Amino acid sequence: MNIQVRIQSAPFSLGDGYASTLAQRTDIGAVVSFTGLVRDFNESPDVTGLTLEHYPGMTERTLEQIGEQAWQRWSLQAVYIVHRVGYLAPGDPIVRVLVASAHRREAFEACDFIMDFLKTQAPFWKKEHSTQGEYWVKERATDWQDAERWA
Amino acid sequence: MQLTHLNTRGEANMVDVGDKHETRREAVASGRVLMQPETLKLLSDGELPKGDVIATARIAGIQAAKRTHELIPLCHSLALSKVSIEFDIDPAQGCVHVTALCRLNGRTGVEMEALTAVSVACLTLYDMCKAVDKDMCIDAVQLESKRGGVRGDYQRSARPQAPIVTGEGTAGEVTLGERCASPCVRVKFLAELRERVGVSDTVLDLDQVPSRDIAGLKAALSQRDTRFSMLTDQRTLCAINQVMANDSARITDEDEVAFFPPVTGG
Repeated sequence: MNIQVRIQSAPFSLGDGYASTLAQRTDIGAVVSFTGLVRDFNESPDVTGLTLEHYPGMTERTLEQIGEQAWQRWSLQAVYIVHRVGYLAPGDPIVRVLVASAHRREAFEACDFIMDFLKTQAPFWKKEHSTQGEYWVKERATDWQDAERWA
Repeated sequence: MQLTHLNTRGEANMVDVGDKHETRREAVASGRVLMQPETLKLLSDGELPKGDVIATARIAGIQAAKRTHELIPLCHSLALSKVSIEFDIDPAQGCVHVTALCRLNGRTGVEMEALTAVSVACLTLYDMCKAVDKDMCIDAVQLESKRGGVRGDYQRSARPQAPIVTGEGTAGEVTLGERCASPCVRVKFLAELRERVGVSDTVLDLDQVPSRDIAGLKAALSQRDTRFSMLTDQRTLCAINQVMANDSARITDEDEVAFFPPVTGG
């Protein structure tokens, strides 16, 4: 299984993961990547930034397990997941999932699946800072509905 | 993100704002001049040789805001409706804080005017005080906020110093810490739960736990302090040695148990 997981406070580029995934390979026919960014509106209209907390160890293991589930469900050639922690400003990338496969459908579906499970399973918590103060973000029912599509 | 002051060949370009709608624009910039305590005292007592330093620096800042287009090559000349400069003498930090506000109804932003006003007010403070203090330093000239315009409002935010991260573990490891003398479990509280119970880590003697499972651990903690009764909330999650667990899961000596709220990553 070619599954890479990274937790980092440093920013990553929108091309992150391509080079390491595609190096020396000519059997990959499709690469699908998803990048999540910090919005300046969420639970409050004026989000000035957020602080992401994680549970070191468990977070990495959970992301690897989600990658492994996708690996067993679809025929994949590479999975790359990077998630940032610490302070992030609006516009900053938070998460990036890159899936490589021989054909596009599998790459699209596996990327969607990984994001749905990352949102509902991986131990990360967001604290939003806004002009009105700071608060911890609440879980969303829609994230759980999204994850249940794969049951 | 495109730099509007460059054209497609990368050459300097004054942006045509003729088609933009007029909106109310406002910008606040700040900066400071660090100086010796004695200089600061002379300044606040009005005893510097060149006279009223603050009044002169204020006029200099206002004049500079009006003439920004002459100094900064691609700035438009603007009919400012308001310029105000404030000075705050701060003996604790050994500096004078300078704040400039610029406002107009127009087609382009006024942050360059506010930054220029602060810069020139700081330079004037320097000029007025340099006879008695050569060590002064102009510092932290920056935009504080701007309102109006298509790119929306901006507000500088105070960045928290360090990211909130609990535990010392690295990938694939379970943090164990020092060994207990008698059988015990280490308990962690994460994210919002940590803030609500007011503690991040605690150690519990297994002999105090009524039953050696998560339900027993919750009962023992609640007995210790009523704040821990919120652990029985349905939406409080739990992991033993970093693997999700429920109330009936067994706990053994040296286990790491973490309680946390529903996850909100991604």
